[in-house]
Amino acid sequence: MSETFRVDSMRPLPPSSSMNEEAVERYETEFKQHATKWQEILERNSERMKKGSYSLHWMNTDKANWGRRAKPSSRGLTYTDINNVPGYGAIPKKATWLNFAPRGAVRDEYVSEMPVVDDYTLVDRDESWAENVITLYEEAKARQWNATRDIPWSELERLPDDLEKATCQLATFLTEVEFVAGDFPAKWLYKIPQDFLEVKSFIVTQMMDEARHQEVFRKRAIAGGGLLHASPGFEWALKAIYDAPTHTMGTFLLNLLGEGLVLSIFRSGEMIAKTHVDKEIFRRCLQDEARHVSYGVLELKNYLDHAPDHEKALEEMHRFADVGEQVILTSFSEAALVEPVAILMGGGLDKIDQGMEGQAKLWEMSIEEYLQRCDRAGFPRRGRCTLPPEMQWGCG
Amino acid sequence: MEMEHSEVSAREAVAFPSVEWFDSLAQLMKHNRARNEHLGFVDCVTVFTVLDGGMRGKPWSVQVTFEEFEATDVREAASADLVRADFTLEATLATWREMIESIARGRGRPDLTHTLNYLSHTGTPIRVWSDDPLRKDMFFRFNQSLQEFINASGTFQTIFPD
Repeated sequence: MSETFRVDSMRPLPPSSSMNEEAVERYETEFKQHATKWQEILERNSERMKKGSYSLHWMNTDKANWGRRAKPSSRGLTYTDINNVPGYGAIPKKATWLNFAPRGAVRDEYVSEMPVVDDYTLVDRDESWAENVITLYEEAKARQWNATRDIPWSELERLPDDLEKATCQLATFLTEVEFVAGDFPAKWLYKIPQDFLEVKSFIVTQMMDEARHQEVFRKRAIAGGGLLHASPGFEWALKAIYDAPTHTMGTFLLNLLGEGLVLSIFRSGEMIAKTHVDKEIFRRCLQDEARHVSYGVLELKNYLDHAPDHEKALEEMHRFADVGEQVILTSFSEAALVEPVAILMGGGLDKIDQGMEGQAKLWEMSIEEYLQRCDRAGFPRRGRCTLPPEMQWGCG
Repeated sequence: MEMEHSEVSAREAVAFPSVEWFDSLAQLMKHNRARNEHLGFVDCVTVFTVLDGGMRGKPWSVQVTFEEFEATDVREAASADLVRADFTLEATLATWREMIESIARGRGRPDLTHTLNYLSHTGTPIRVWSDDPLRKDMFFRFNQSLQEFINASGTFQTIFPD
């Protein structure tokens, strides 16, 4: 029989310092430093409230863009519709409002009392803007789907062992790589000032898309047998994206090159899918991926078109791409990606050679598509591209 | 005049290739608005070319304009229309026929080897092309909607030239 547990017999816990103590201290110091500003506001407001008096200053429309009402277009009220209203649609070349005050609001007279968000460092419009960003944002919202509900999971059929393993390995790869396209935009999102709200909005849809892709491939693997192997080559490619020195460089590597290649994988995935469930998954995902690619192309184009020193910007991008392409290639040379795709493409482990032949043809097409997108962005990589134009298979 | 779903289904077989055939799909898209709203709006101009579908085996093309949740314009494509097109899907009559027959057999869903993406991914037997890679990417951005546009052909009978 166990000893009776008694609360009064317990020894006191050793004193512990909070894990967050230093962080809280820094926070206190920060706000004490600025206490004169925010406390002044607080005191002013408290006094007014105690007196029971109203300010109603916010009803003054002298400096507001008041009364110019936005009108919805046929598909609803879009960002384009509200940006057409005078006073709201001018996107500054350089953001000087480093706080949360909305573009187009009455804000000038309050600037001296407002805090500065030090993290807002991506202040040049041309480091994140793309001509198509509003269109893509509206499209992204309209074409969201639900990985729980919109995929006919109940139709999932059991495949022969080699095909199921190949499908699950491909899904494992995609689970591993997809959310870098959530983490990378997240790493920059909080650095983009509020005046570039359209870019921020689009980036958030990309993060949502990637969450859904990670979700759907994880579900596919676990519903079909399980997750299989992670790979170091994938990880280095992801790190190359995540650690990109600028937003434009990372967006190029992630959206234009990486997602361009993943778009090809999704198209291949749809083509080689052995069930209608897999077909639907890949079709839905490739739509999302193509939006990200489109943003990547025009973001780079906008950056290069507006660079103060075009030649220097171009050369920096080339230097970055020289490295980035090679690191991305590590992922696309991994057996854990190439082989399952070849098995699915061939139709079985015994037809893996045929699958490799098919994959070699798709590689050539994918590289050509990449170079076309670079051309479209005004970034001529032909002749300098470090990716092999042909798949390096059996040629050694 | 708006055509009801049942009217499209119940009427005589529709010839392929023809403007009427694509117009039937446009009417069905309008009829199935709720489904298309769920998929999200689609904005692109697509040309479907039957390489040997015209007079004396010459190419025949139709241009379909998609706006929001509908195909708002269907017309036989003249060369001037091609400039407006975001991308073109072209294949032989035999390829289109095989795809349409697969959709009919699947009652509105092609088998695994007859989806638009399957048939076009390697550039053959359907070739998707555009002068602008960004506009070509619209084929991917709206792929599910385009697939379901074509899938609607499973609800009526198609006749093909001998």
